Amino acid sequence: MDLTTNHFLFVSAALFVIGMMGVLTRRNILIVFMCVEMMVAAVGISLVAFSHETATINGQVFFLFALAVAAAESAVGLAIVVALSRQGRAPDVEEMQTLRN
Amino acid sequence: MTVHLENPDWGMVLPQLIVLVAAIVVSLLDAFLPKERHFTVITGVTLAGFGAAIVAQLSQRGETGTTFHGLFQLDGLTVFLNLVILVAAVLTVLISASYVEYLDSKMGTGEFYTLLTFAVFGAMLTASAGDMVMLYVGIELTSIATYILTAFAKRRTTALEGAFKYFLLGLFASAILLYGMSWIYGSTGSTGLNEISASLTAALTGSEPNAGMILGMLLVIVGFSFKLAAVPFHFWTPDAYDGAPTPVTGYMSVIPKAAAAVAMIRILVQGLESLADDWTMVLAVLAFVTMLFGNIVAISQTDVKRMLAYSSIAHTGYMIAGIAAFRLIDGMAGERSISSVLYYLIAYTFMNIGAFAIVVWVQHRGDGTTLGDFAGLASRSPLAALAMTVFLVSLMGIPPTIGFYAKYYVIVALLESNLLWLAMTIVMASAISAYFYLRVVAVMYFQEKSEDTTGRPIVASPLLNLGIGVMVVGVLALGLFSSPIINLANDWTNLFSVAALAMGR
Repeated sequence: MDLTTNHFLFVSAALFVIGMMGVLTRRNILIVFMCVEMMVAAVGISLVAFSHETATINGQVFFLFALAVAAAESAVGLAIVVALSRQGRAPDVEEMQTLRN
Repeated sequence: MTVHLENPDWGMVLPQLIVLVAAIVVSLLDAFLPKERHFTVITGVTLAGFGAAIVAQLSQRGETGTTFHGLFQLDGLTVFLNLVILVAAVLTVLISASYVEYLDSKMGTGEFYTLLTFAVFGAMLTASAGDMVMLYVGIELTSIATYILTAFAKRRTTALEGAFKYFLLGLFASAILLYGMSWIYGSTGSTGLNEISASLTAALTGSEPNAGMILGMLLVIVGFSFKLAAVPFHFWTPDAYDGAPTPVTGYMSVIPKAAAAVAMIRILVQGLESLADDWTMVLAVLAFVTMLFGNIVAISQTDVKRMLAYSSIAHTGYMIAGIAAFRLIDGMAGERSISSVLYYLIAYTFMNIGAFAIVVWVQHRGDGTTLGDFAGLASRSPLAALAMTVFLVSLMGIPPTIGFYAKYYVIVALLESNLLWLAMTIVMASAISAYFYLRVVAVMYFQEKSEDTTGRPIVASPLLNLGIGVMVVGVLALGLFSSPIINLANDWTNLFSVAALAMGR
C-alpha cells in the first residue's frame, strides 16, 4: 500500500480529536496538559504532511516555531501548577471552583 | 543551491526594536540596580521606552513595505494598531505604578514591567505580521506573558485559579488556531498572507471553495474567538479578570484583545478576503450572540470587576460586528468596517482601562470591588466618582463621549453593508447595558456606604491620578475631535497596495 498525504492527515485529525476529547473530559491537570500537547503534535503531523504535499518548506519551519512556543507554554503552565500545589490544592480541574457566580 | 538572503530593513522595525530593547534593559536593571532606586528608575525606563516607540511609530505614518522575507509588513493597520497598543501600554504603566510599588517590597518591580513590555512587544509583532508564523509567535508571546501577569499575586488563591483557567483555555485555543492555520497553509501552499490571498483568489475564480479552506477558516475563527473572549468561547474571561490584580485586568482587557482582533483582521481580511462571504456570516452570528449574552449576564453581577469583565465580552461583540461589516456587496468590500473597528479599539482602550483605573483607585483606599464598596463614593471623593461616571457613560455609548462615536461608526459601517439587524442589535444591547452601568452611578451618588473601610490602604501614586486624568480627557475630547483618528484609521486600506506590490514582484 502506498502512503499518501491523506493517510497522514487522517492520523493527524484522529490525534487532534483524541486530544480534544481528553481536554474536555479528563480531570487531572497534568493529563489535560498532555492532551493539549498531543493536539499540538497532531497539528505538527499535518503541517509536515502539507509541507510535503505542496513541496514548500514553510510548514516544517512553522512546526519548529510551534514546538518552541509549546515548550514555553508548558513551562509557564507547570509553574502555575507548582504554585497551586504549594497552596495545598489537588491537581484536579474540578477543584477550581472558588471563582464563580 | 544558492541561498539569497535579503538585508532586512531595520528602520521599518524600529518601534518594535525599541520595545524589545526596553524589555531587555528593564530585566537587566532589575538584576543590577540597588534596591532603593529600583521602582523610580524601572518605571521611568519603561515609560521612556514606550514613549520613544510611539514617536518612532508616528514617524512611519503613510509608509508601506515588507521586510524579513515578507514575515514583517508595515502598513496603515500596523501603524494604527501599534499606536493603540503603545498608548494602552503607557496607560497600564500609569495605573499599575502604585500597585507595583506596593509589591516592590515582596516581589520585583522588574518582573512586572519586563513581562508587560514583552507582552506589548508580542502584540506589536502580531500587528505587523505578514506571515502566519509571525502572527502565531506574536500572539503567543503576548498570551504567555499575560498568563504570568494574571498569576502575579501568587499567594492569593483566586489569582492562581484565574490564571490557571486562562492558561488552560488559552493553550487549547492556540492548538485549535494552529490546526486552522495548518489547513489554510495546506490548501494554499503558503504561510505568507499575501501569497495566501493570491493563491485563494486564483483557486476561487469560477469554483467553489473546498472543504479544507472552509475548515481552516472556521478553526481560525474559533481560535481567535477564545482569545477575544467571544461567546460561546468566553468561560475563562470572568474568572481570569476577577482573579488577576486589577491593574493587570485593565491591561488584559485591552492589549491581548487588540492583538487578537488585529490577528483576525490580518488573516480574514488580508489572507482570506476571497472567502469574505462565508466568514462575515459566521462573525455576524458570533457578534449577535456575544453582544446580547455579555450584556444580559452583566446585569446579575454584584461585583464591579466581574461586571466590567462581562461588559468587556459585550464590547468584543461590537468589535466583531464591525469586522462582520466587511461584507462584499457587488464585489465591493465595506471599507469603513475595519476603520470603525480600529476606532472602536482606541475608544475601548481609554474607557475600559479608565473604568478599571477607578476600581484600582477604590481598592487602594482599602475597599473591595463589590457594588457596596462603591456606595457613597461621590461624597467621599467626588472627582473619582465623576471620572467613573464619565467612563461608564462612555462604555454605554452616550454622546458626547468617545464610546458614542465608536458605536456610531460601527453602526454606519453595518448599515452600509445592509446588516440592519446587527445594527439594531447593537442599539438594543446598549439599551440593556444602560441598566448595569447606571446602577453603579446610582450607587455612587445616592447610597451611603454601610460599613467602614475594611482593608489596609495603599498610598496611591500620582501617576495613577495622572493616568485617570488623561483618560477622562481622552474619553471626552477624542470623540468630539475624532476626524484625525478616523483619517489615520482609514489608512488601513493601504494594506492592499502592499498586496499588489507583492504580487507584482
